[in-house]
Amino acid sequence: MGKDSQLQAVLGKDVLTKVRAAKVLLVGAGGIGCELLKDLVLMGYGEIHVVDLDTIDLSNLNRQFLFRHKDIKKPKASTAVAAVETFNFHNSKLVSYMANIMDTKQFPLSWFDQFNFIFNALDNIAARSYVNKMCLFLKKPSIESGTTGFNGQVTPIFPYQTECYECTVKETPKTYPVCTIRSTPSQPVHCVTWAKNYLFGQLFGEDEETSPTDFGTDNQDEIKNMVSEQNELKELKNLATKDDFFESVIDKIFIKDINKLLALEELWKTRKRPIPLAWDSSVKDKIEAITDSDVARGQDVWPIEKYIFLLMRSIKELQQRLADGETDLEFDKDDEVTLDFVVAATNIRSHMFHIPLKSKFDIKQIAGNIIPAIATTNSIISGFSALASLQMFTPNPREGAKMVYTFQDATRFVSTSSVVESNRKCKSCSIPRGVLKINLSHPEIVLGDVVDALVKGFKYGHDEIALILGKDRLIYDVDFDDNKDKKLADIGFQAGEVLLVNDENDEKATVELYIEAMDSGKIEVPNMELPDAPEKEATEEQEDEKEDDDVLQAISDDAPIIIDEEEEAEEASKKHKLDEIDEHETTTSKKQKTSEGQDHVLIE
Amino acid sequence: MSSLRLARLQEERKSWRKDHPFGFFAKPAKNPDGSMNLQSWTAGIPGKPNTLWADGVYPISITFPDDYPSKPPKVKFPANFYHPNVYPSGTICLSILNEEQDWRPAITLKQIVLGIQELLGSPNPDSPAQEPAWRAFGKDRATYDKKVKEQAQKYIK
Repeated sequence: MGKDSQLQAVLGKDVLTKVRAAKVLLVGAGGIGCELLKDLVLMGYGEIHVVDLDTIDLSNLNRQFLFRHKDIKKPKASTAVAAVETFNFHNSKLVSYMANIMDTKQFPLSWFDQFNFIFNALDNIAARSYVNKMCLFLKKPSIESGTTGFNGQVTPIFPYQTECYECTVKETPKTYPVCTIRSTPSQPVHCVTWAKNYLFGQLFGEDEETSPTDFGTDNQDEIKNMVSEQNELKELKNLATKDDFFESVIDKIFIKDINKLLALEELWKTRKRPIPLAWDSSVKDKIEAITDSDVARGQDVWPIEKYIFLLMRSIKELQQRLADGETDLEFDKDDEVTLDFVVAATNIRSHMFHIPLKSKFDIKQIAGNIIPAIATTNSIISGFSALASLQMFTPNPREGAKMVYTFQDATRFVSTSSVVESNRKCKSCSIPRGVLKINLSHPEIVLGDVVDALVKGFKYGHDEIALILGKDRLIYDVDFDDNKDKKLADIGFQAGEVLLVNDENDEKATVELYIEAMDSGKIEVPNMELPDAPEKEATEEQEDEKEDDDVLQAISDDAPIIIDEEEEAEEASKKHKLDEIDEHETTTSKKQKTSEGQDHVLIE
Repeated sequence: MSSLRLARLQEERKSWRKDHPFGFFAKPAKNPDGSMNLQSWTAGIPGKPNTLWADGVYPISITFPDDYPSKPPKVKFPANFYHPNVYPSGTICLSILNEEQDWRPAITLKQIVLGIQELLGSPNPDSPAQEPAWRAFGKDRATYDKKVKEQAQKYIK
């Protein structure tokens, strides 16, 4: 009773009783999950289920304090649970699963329903979106948390009332167009991408493109030209066994290719011309004098000669690997030799294109998509997540629920704000949801029966609906009724799949249905009234027409465009509007900074 | 995955079905199980009348990434398609398909195919993507015209 009495003094008897009776789900036992599990156990939660699909890695140990060196390769969920058992003073019931939370067989919708609410401590957008969706189906509150370096945030989510995980647009890792990477880099990251994804692969990796046999012409000279272009790199790759491979690479990649680019005058009208690598005796002499110890400090940016030396050294070592029988080498940020190659090639290319050089340390971060994870941030954010959960036990949890986020300012570290109303334009939480029960073992049900049941159940008044199953499979619409007589199993119906039903006449709102199996009967459409389809903005159609023109004018990049005056004025006003929208988007996305792009967190 | 993406793709299919420019076609690819794959479409771009391209309907593949419409779809002609702004792999270098340039989530399928049709007849010499067509377009217009016409016959309507 002694330990309880302190908790009771802090929480009050009433809240403590509720906490002791609560059953919660914690998704993720990593950086935030470990901290949060510790907090929840010490708060005396009645029952905590922990799901994590991962095993423990050496690189986790600097911040996931429930794990020790001896735990490496063990499942995170069960190891974390075993660790907190040692201070499970309030006898919380703890259940662990080493599994993917998106596994619909192990975790059907009904499984999620057993919890009072859900803690998200995930490291990727896909799983977050999925749990968010389950919570929307069940109208179950959740507490979302995430960190990136020194930044972090906690957001309580009350489905259909406050902003859900999908209400704000997540910034995803940038991709770069081929033209920028191959011909006209302007930032260090362009050169990193070129070195890592293009050059390394072409010289040492797998052959990606198979040779085409159809060139669309009968001109023999032209075919020869095309083949030779395609084969130049392959030929270079074939030299990888030769002693002078390094010189060949320098000559082809850093001199001849640049000269070819320089011949395309149009490219350099508005850009600074690249300078092919100076490769003369004075440079070679300087490289002669460089030793391994000169390229040891990866935190510094070195003079260009040192990167040429590093390129030479890494190419020789990679050649040795090929000679030793390895094939299709892959870039790995923790493989020092492949990293050296990318660092060297990146900086030599940057040097030629007048782009600032980066240290090996920085390039490793860019090439490896490393986002630093900081134990203190995780700990603070977990603490706020645990505190936010107490709000769930007040009479009206949504009132007074607060989101917490870090605030980079000299005066304070964190800031709070009230949770925001859900975004009416959010495609996730603006549509109604329900559970569609189907007797999947019934031998006679065909897709047409489902269509009929939906048309009748939702009172569409016509049969022009479109059905999309799962991620992107369109199985039925007005112009596509080929599958009407197919058995459900043959078209992929199974428990746990999600079916999107769209009214093609735009009268009723689109509805999303979670498919649940039942043992008897045939099809049970959820008993719900579909609201009217949201009004399209009145001017949308007209805007569309105008945009067609805009876009057509924008297509040819820098090509001269003839616009008559009237349209020009129209375009100007349009531009203005677009700018406003852009600004708005930047401000709303700022808040989300912390959880974005975590698909690529390698440490976490 | 993202509901936004799915809702948008469904919307694109619907509006294409209700209204699309004359001579074009666009449809999702068929999966082996008889469903349609909304992520991966094929389409045909007719050459504009009274241009070198007029006789052909040129096939393209359109792949919508998971983060569409934040990111643009990937659009490709067949490999070795003859056009100054098409890479040997068939990838089209077009500013509205480029995230860093003019791509906006509001750009529709219709606008994309119209944009590509426009590009066929009005190449942009400032964005070379392949050597043969780019060089011929700039320096040897007779060869360029001949090749384009030959290609049109290959993809004849």
